Amino acid sequence: MTDAHGPAAAHEPAGTPDLADVVRAARAEGRGLKVVGAGKWSGEGTPAARVRDGADQVTLRRLSGIVAYVPGDLTLTARAGTTLAELDDATRAHGQWCPLCPWGTDDGTIGATFATATTGPFGAALGRPRDLALGIEFVDGEGAVARGGGRVVKNVAGFDLVRLMVGAFGTLGIITEVTVRLRAIPAADVTVLIVPAGGGVRGASPPAGAKWPPAAGSSSIERDAAVADALIAAEVAPSGCAVLDQHDARLLGVPAGAVVARYMGSTALVRAGVAEAGRLGTVTETDGRFWTSYRARDPHPRMLRGSPLSISVARRLKGRFDPGSVLNPGILGEDAE
Amino acid sequence: MDQLARALSGIVGPQHVITRAAELLVYENDGLPGYRLRPRFVVAPGNRAEAIAVVRALAAANAPFVARGAGTGLSAGSLADGIVMIGLHRMRQIYSIDPVGRTATVEPGVVNARLSKAAAPYGLHYAPDPSSQTACSIGGNVAENAGGPHCLKYGVTLNHVLHATVVLPDGELIELAAPRDDEIGYDLLGAFVGSEGCFGVAVDVTVRLTPNPARVCTMLADFPALDGAAKAVSAIIAAGIVPAALELVDAGTIAAVEASIYAAGYPTDVEACLLVEVDGPAAGLDDDTAAVQRICRENGARAVRTATDSSDRERLWQGRKKAFGAMGRVAPHLVVQDAVVPRTRLAPVLRRIGEIAERHRVRVCNVFHAGDGNLHPNIPCDGNDADEMARVHAACREIMEVCIGEGGTITGEHGVGLDKQPYMDMLFSPESLDAMCRLRDAFDPARRANPGKVVPVRYCREWNASPSARKAVGAAP
Repeated sequence: MTDAHGPAAAHEPAGTPDLADVVRAARAEGRGLKVVGAGKWSGEGTPAARVRDGADQVTLRRLSGIVAYVPGDLTLTARAGTTLAELDDATRAHGQWCPLCPWGTDDGTIGATFATATTGPFGAALGRPRDLALGIEFVDGEGAVARGGGRVVKNVAGFDLVRLMVGAFGTLGIITEVTVRLRAIPAADVTVLIVPAGGGVRGASPPAGAKWPPAAGSSSIERDAAVADALIAAEVAPSGCAVLDQHDARLLGVPAGAVVARYMGSTALVRAGVAEAGRLGTVTETDGRFWTSYRARDPHPRMLRGSPLSISVARRLKGRFDPGSVLNPGILGEDAE
Repeated sequence: MDQLARALSGIVGPQHVITRAAELLVYENDGLPGYRLRPRFVVAPGNRAEAIAVVRALAAANAPFVARGAGTGLSAGSLADGIVMIGLHRMRQIYSIDPVGRTATVEPGVVNARLSKAAAPYGLHYAPDPSSQTACSIGGNVAENAGGPHCLKYGVTLNHVLHATVVLPDGELIELAAPRDDEIGYDLLGAFVGSEGCFGVAVDVTVRLTPNPARVCTMLADFPALDGAAKAVSAIIAAGIVPAALELVDAGTIAAVEASIYAAGYPTDVEACLLVEVDGPAAGLDDDTAAVQRICRENGARAVRTATDSSDRERLWQGRKKAFGAMGRVAPHLVVQDAVVPRTRLAPVLRRIGEIAERHRVRVCNVFHAGDGNLHPNIPCDGNDADEMARVHAACREIMEVCIGEGGTITGEHGVGLDKQPYMDMLFSPESLDAMCRLRDAFDPARRANPGKVVPVRYCREWNASPSARKAVGAAP
């Protein structure tokens, strides 16, 4: 479909100034822009699919590459179009990694991860995008280029443009560069399958402080959820935990009724964590690549509960950062009424 | 009594509206010497309803205001220049503690350490622990996005605030919640935390409580050379150890502490000590402890002492946490500075700071969150000696320039307030500063909340374009 301005065009700016030109032109001509990283989170049913027909597409894939990386500081600055796989390659060479690991695949981009604030199975333990973003550069809806935060791990200089942009789905600005916090790859990294003690869960001795055993008559998935809660409440908690329904278990090659947990840290810590898990059922070590397929498998849809723009502050933000509704128009449900 | 003060005393009671000059004296300063401004008057609401009514009355009168917690700030951010000050110190109620969900909902005037004390029976505590924690308030912590030694492992205030009920400067009441993983919306709570009182007044705050670690091990490493201490900091972090705290105390600070009632048994014949704390489950803690000791020795530590019991531990921490108080022996005033550099640049930056101090004939005592690269170069001085203060300010400016030059920032946890405004345009472009102004304007279009702080007004495009708006507010220096 096209709108009154003619067919939608596609832009692939090679740098921030080019992107700013594209935005300024769109603003002047009253056109919308659909912002795309690698296009990994823009399929049917995703928020990106709501972008108004006729909007031009801006792809950030040429805006890629690592800008700064000092391994000793455990921080890295990359352009928005850099893929998570590229990030992984660069950091692994120095015994480090970026714990973002969002739902989806590693050919997704760092810009999209932060713009959508997509978390993953390790978000609660190792940090969500809002916790891991240190600095940001963006182009607003009038083509102005601004920066917030910086390249250091602690920073309260000025109002927080970083938290403003993370999760805004590109509707207040197009993220062009991000500085992220990294971690050292731990000495031990073990993924285990826990099959709750068959029929005899009550006999299993739980970690201190856990809600255990599960209520009598629980379904298999309720029992697994109780296992996951008990693992997380244990003294040595896993970095991530997956409870699967039968369908997903089959798809991912996990025995029915098993809970998957990942323990990371020093060798002694991981050994203790696995031992605690062993008190809830039978534990077997499994391939850590499970998490890659688990992340890729899970669509984790994002809901639009009411209109975000019904909040006065949000409405005024949109008016001040994108007064022409150039950036991802429709994504916030503006057209729903 | 001025008419507005009379109207507000109808809300909070006349005894809670302070108008007499002698009583206003304590509201003229915060914790940073060199700034003194008198508010028009102070109004102190006693609960949520009164606080909301006060802000609405100020909105109706189109009166600018400054909200203030305990007044322990270090950036002159909570000073009011002839405008109304809202004192939140009476709002000290802890509404609820949920030991299962590990959260607490409190009024903004609740003192940081008191919340941890209230959570202690459940084996929980509130993790952000600024050195002023026995006096500073949760509301002030939220306004400044406060840090503290244990933020290295546990995160700053932002990472611990789950919800805030905020009365916007125009009187609208809004609920700000941490964003959900499965929902779309702006992170307004994230933007609010650290907004230095410019976005509105939080009338209640829900925070995360953290389980007390099963085991804690605190170590003190003595370094004959400051350089070695700085290098050990980077090496510990690079080894993948995340200490609960990693603090550096230099010779000047040690001398002041050891001569005071807070003496902690720090050696007085070294250039620096590192205070390293590792905590967590018992498993693996011995490995971390051994690794820290090894890395310290490899970087020139003469000795590494381990606290054997909790009183020994508290004593080691006392030297760090009471260092600012101990400086009172050295000079009548203490300029507490705050800046951040990339961790790997600590050694050269500390050297440069030493050179700057020498050149300006001031004494710089460093005591800081080394693991975060968060420097606190403190300068004991006599605030009444104009010549000395001029040299102190010149040294501060040069220190900030060095930190910015090394890829750092001008404040890690104290905020910009008034004190750091002169450096904002060294760090951010006019476009970035304008974007910050627009963010503020979304919360406070009339710019009545803490006017003239954080971002210099000259960088706010829209504001400058509209002199009538400025006149209507009648504030903003």
